[in-house]
Amino acid sequence: MSERLKKIFESSNPKTKLVSYFVGCYPDYKTCLELIKEAIDNGVSIIECGYPTSEASAEGPVIKKAHDKVLENGDTIKDIIKLVSEIRNYNNDVGIVMMGYIANLYKYPITKFVSDINKAGADACLVVDAPHELKEENILREELNKTGLSLIKLVAPTTDDNRLQDIVKLSSGFLYQVNVSGVTGVKSANQTDVESFVKRIQNLTKIPICSGFGIKSPEDAIKIAKTGCQGVIVGSAFVKYIQDNLTDKDLPLNLGKYIKSFTKELN
Amino acid sequence: MKKNSLKTGPDDLGYYGEGEKAMGGMAVGETLMPALHELNDGFEDAIKDKDFLDEFAYYCKHYIGRPSPLYFAENLTKKLGGAKILFKQEHLNHTGSHKITNSLFQILLAKRMGKSHLICESGAGQHYSATAAVAAKFNMPLVGVMGDIDVARVNQNIIKAKHYGAKLKTVPGTLKEAITDAIKTWTTNPEYAYICGSVVSSSPFPKIVAFAQSIIGREIREQSMSQEGKIPDMICGCVGGGSNFAGAIYEFLDEPSVTKIGVEAHETAALTNGTPGIMQGMKTYMLQTDDGAKSLGGMSLGAGITYFSVGPLHSYLKDQGAVKYSSATDKEMLEAYKIIAQTEGICSALEPMAAAAEIIFRQAKDKPKDYIICLSLCGRGEKDLDTIQEHIGKDFE
Repeated sequence: MSERLKKIFESSNPKTKLVSYFVGCYPDYKTCLELIKEAIDNGVSIIECGYPTSEASAEGPVIKKAHDKVLENGDTIKDIIKLVSEIRNYNNDVGIVMMGYIANLYKYPITKFVSDINKAGADACLVVDAPHELKEENILREELNKTGLSLIKLVAPTTDDNRLQDIVKLSSGFLYQVNVSGVTGVKSANQTDVESFVKRIQNLTKIPICSGFGIKSPEDAIKIAKTGCQGVIVGSAFVKYIQDNLTDKDLPLNLGKYIKSFTKELN
Repeated sequence: MKKNSLKTGPDDLGYYGEGEKAMGGMAVGETLMPALHELNDGFEDAIKDKDFLDEFAYYCKHYIGRPSPLYFAENLTKKLGGAKILFKQEHLNHTGSHKITNSLFQILLAKRMGKSHLICESGAGQHYSATAAVAAKFNMPLVGVMGDIDVARVNQNIIKAKHYGAKLKTVPGTLKEAITDAIKTWTTNPEYAYICGSVVSSSPFPKIVAFAQSIIGREIREQSMSQEGKIPDMICGCVGGGSNFAGAIYEFLDEPSVTKIGVEAHETAALTNGTPGIMQGMKTYMLQTDDGAKSLGGMSLGAGITYFSVGPLHSYLKDQGAVKYSSATDKEMLEAYKIIAQTEGICSALEPMAAAAEIIFRQAKDKPKDYIICLSLCGRGEKDLDTIQEHIGKDFE
């Protein structure tokens, strides 16, 4: 269990945390670092730092394009871990979650991965395609526990109460509540559905809930914040902003302003 | 089944084998996990239901035309002058390949489970056209996902599927990209049934597809016993994901006296050149970068065997030393096609010509005349005629 994540959710400021997803080293190492620094300066509580894989099975077109670009540039998960250590040097309070797929971790291999991200200053890890049925998830969870880091688990609208109970027991840090069935950045979240899902989870656990998928604007974020979750997760909207403004010389600064339009509504 | 049987796997979580070397498993996002458990329960329940199995058997016979013949390839046998070669004529099934048996099984299962919509992926389009045919028969809407490179080279299957009423979603790439996108499409519609075309992807698909296709091996045993008075000494089949070959050998897994050889495309020979990794829902041998970030592999003329990975059952059987795996080049496949067309008057698909090449160039000649080799001819060649014409058309003039 990550102490830093615990502290973040114990604090009442901001009331609803903004969790923002970046594809590590996108569009390149240096720019990505500047973008994330701006995100931190503009009130993001937790950075999800994505590492790419070519067969990512849950990414919509926006994030897939960013993954492909990083792979094409030749940046690897090791470069992204180095990026994490620079983010940590810049700020000691922000939560950092490594996010991606089991393909890379299996090859790393897992034990060394956990040790390396711990050294770099990450707080947690989220693996999209590693349900608790998978042997490698069990190995990863045990390693993270031993190291004092968190494994962030996902729950989806299709997850029934029995399964939810099992997952809650294995979660630490926060629970990633997936709002819609689908890939990232396509469908929109429905406030009523999210609200009843949040209630369903809160009946079972006190672990903080961060709600993600289908949050595309500050207005969406405000609506989702009202459902009772502790954090809202924005991924594709920020990645798309970066993608659409690659030629902007002041991209980091302007992304910061865009992020501020979310965080100022969540205080 | 015996305790030490190679047929006992996979376990409840989809693993073939134990410990760190176990292959398979369930590596998919949470959204699909409940659907996969539901499918596993639905499958385990259905195969205990005699009426369901009778219905499957009925349509296997009357709709597909099973059993497919086990044919003595006399001219080829004479030409090679060694082992006696039998063709398991899966290409004579309705829609022209082994794929339809699996499509039929899974669609009957989907119907039994109350599903109304279907998704499938395809490489050579054989699985797409087969699934489209059965979907039309049972009046269920289907969306198929294929790579644009394959759509261009196997056009006949696309046209047929369209006539059966199926929709097609095209993604850049080949079978690999189609599989990844089919999983995304299913994640977006988890209430649909995903009709997986091979012994690949997350558990329980490898188990379900192997179950459906294992009818091939049971037919081989019965036909070989009645025609030859013994079972084959060797069974050879091509391997992309590996469903036709898994189906042909499953019956004989506990009989080491039967030599089994699976043949991949040279450019995507995961079992010869790959290492274990986890992608597309399963742990198995695959071609990928050392850091696991990127799938690799080139292009083969056989669209259905252009696949960087392979079903986990095959990885397990390789590690157990129970089955041999090799590979064949485009040139060998085309040469084998020519020999089989000219000796037996059979226009085969290119994929099984990988296995034919192994038999013709490396296995049959030095064997005695009473040594029986069974070659799985798992698809017909109409879909490949343009490709074949382009490469060796002049050889026939």
